[in-house]
Amino acid sequence: MKFLDSHVHMVSRTTDDYQRMAAAGVAAIIEPSFWQGQPRTEVGTFKDYFNTLIGFERFRASQFGIRHYCTIGLNPKEANHVKLADAVMELLPLYVCKEGVVGIGEIGFDDQTAAEEKYLRLQARIAVEANLPIQIHTPHRDKKKGTIRTMDVLEDAGVDPSMVVIDHNNEETVKMVLDRGYWTAFTIYPHTKLGTERMVEILREYGAERIIVDSAADWGISDALAVPKTAALMKERGIALDLVEQVTYRNPLLVYGQSGQIDERDWEGAEGIDPSALFEGNTLLRGGMDVATAMSQYLIIE
Amino acid sequence: MRDQLLDVLKASSPPAAFDWLRERIAEQEAHFQRNAFYFAFSGVSRHFPKHDRIPDDLAEKVDASGKVPGFSIRGWDLFRLARVILLLTLAEQDQETCLTTLFAVLDTADVRERVAIYSASPLLPWPDHLRDTIIEGLRSNIVDVFDSIALNNPFPAAHFSEASWNQMVLKALFLSRPIYHIYNLEQRRNPALALAISELAHERWAAGRKLSSEAWRNCIGFIDDGIAKDLRHLLNTGESHDRQAAALVLAEDSNSLIPEDLRETLKEEIAAVADEKLSWQTLGEAITPLVVLNGSPTPSQSVKRS
Repeated sequence: MKFLDSHVHMVSRTTDDYQRMAAAGVAAIIEPSFWQGQPRTEVGTFKDYFNTLIGFERFRASQFGIRHYCTIGLNPKEANHVKLADAVMELLPLYVCKEGVVGIGEIGFDDQTAAEEKYLRLQARIAVEANLPIQIHTPHRDKKKGTIRTMDVLEDAGVDPSMVVIDHNNEETVKMVLDRGYWTAFTIYPHTKLGTERMVEILREYGAERIIVDSAADWGISDALAVPKTAALMKERGIALDLVEQVTYRNPLLVYGQSGQIDERDWEGAEGIDPSALFEGNTLLRGGMDVATAMSQYLIIE
Repeated sequence: MRDQLLDVLKASSPPAAFDWLRERIAEQEAHFQRNAFYFAFSGVSRHFPKHDRIPDDLAEKVDASGKVPGFSIRGWDLFRLARVILLLTLAEQDQETCLTTLFAVLDTADVRERVAIYSASPLLPWPDHLRDTIIEGLRSNIVDVFDSIALNNPFPAAHFSEASWNQMVLKALFLSRPIYHIYNLEQRRNPALALAISELAHERWAAGRKLSSEAWRNCIGFIDDGIAKDLRHLLNTGESHDRQAAALVLAEDSNSLIPEDLRETLKEEIAAVADEKLSWQTLGEAITPLVVLNGSPTPSQSVKRS
């Protein structure tokens, strides 16, 4: 079994993570453009960041047999720095049609300001013009309202929900996002977002259609193995393997595949490390000690 | 050259992709616009098949034509060929337009775009204005990018200073690249490089590591007492490739500092050189390169022609 982690910030991760991800069966990853913790003060640092996502990080991942893709966009936090935001908007057209750019992201709301809404709307239009999927960051504060507002803005901008992944959902937002036709992603992230056990229960309740599990591992306390760990726990708790594969591999491939920039053939049969072979070799999904040993950590992320 | 490359691209590509490129070229020739060039250059990835390479027989015809000695398109994927053709179209503009556009494209280029730009370097005019940017490209640790400059590219041999040349060769050895693909390696040999190779070998040996046997090719003609000792060391590494490299050096270098017993010990290998059974080419081919995964399509995915 193999995985596609459709939200992970590898620029903040070490080669140890890459090695463990490859060993755990992560075949491909999508790295959204985001805030880097330290606010940027110059447009040039955005350019070099985007260049890293389509350049060095892609190479770094390939050294471990992992295929790296990205989404390009102006994140909601830095959208509030209006002068800088306008300069970043001028850069975006240079990147949206690059190879391996599978969408516009991660965009959305943070503080839910007027500036955030303005740049969300502008970027939604770029996505429509370029026929690219959108990866949405939903706010941590006042999440429910922010999620509704995001969907309203997108629909008003003429975006088709089937082209959008709304991320960082929880028990409170899942139903309305699914009901409005969006791909509904869950971030397994210790403490501030969602744990693996809650994810298992959500899957039991809502099934696997249009559901996606990702790690959003970044510079904070997070787990680059969140996707394979969640899959292992799902298996352990009796969820059918087909459903596990749907939410950890096939669904993200379907939605981001609409860009024409990500295709299973990119890693199937490619030379080098075969993640699925390693995965079977580690007997990762067979439960018990093997799982814990292969992933060096316990499966339950609180 | 461009017409020849266009013929190869046409024979290797889906007609719709090739027609798209022809239209972009016609537009550029009728009325050059920088933004249109940017989008065409990036847009190659939206129109050509991502994994397909030029068939070897077509590539060999271009290489064999010898229009640009040392230039080779063997193993290129279609993205690279299509983009090099676009750059040759750009090169028809005046110097200011061409260089400004080229540097702007490089400024936001992804890995495969960067590879195309460096691959085109020996075909572009105004090499003196490109030299610094090509040297900058070699600072990359992305193997595809490094290879596009260092291997099968005549630009460095023709335009690099000795210091830049030596840095390139040493870095190629660091990255375990097959240096028999470096064009004019023998013509650019120099004593500073020979000494640096010797020093690098000592560092590696002290750490219990290996140095590619190909490295010693750079020392021919510059053997001093120190390098003569290194050659003796090569007999004791237990690696047949090291022995062969030492023999290749001795066969080409008649320096009197080389102890006669070395020649005696290696006489079989030296005879193989005389019989043309052993050469730097055969040695380079025999050394299994370190597997480097580099994000490009693999040879097994090369296009099959019907």
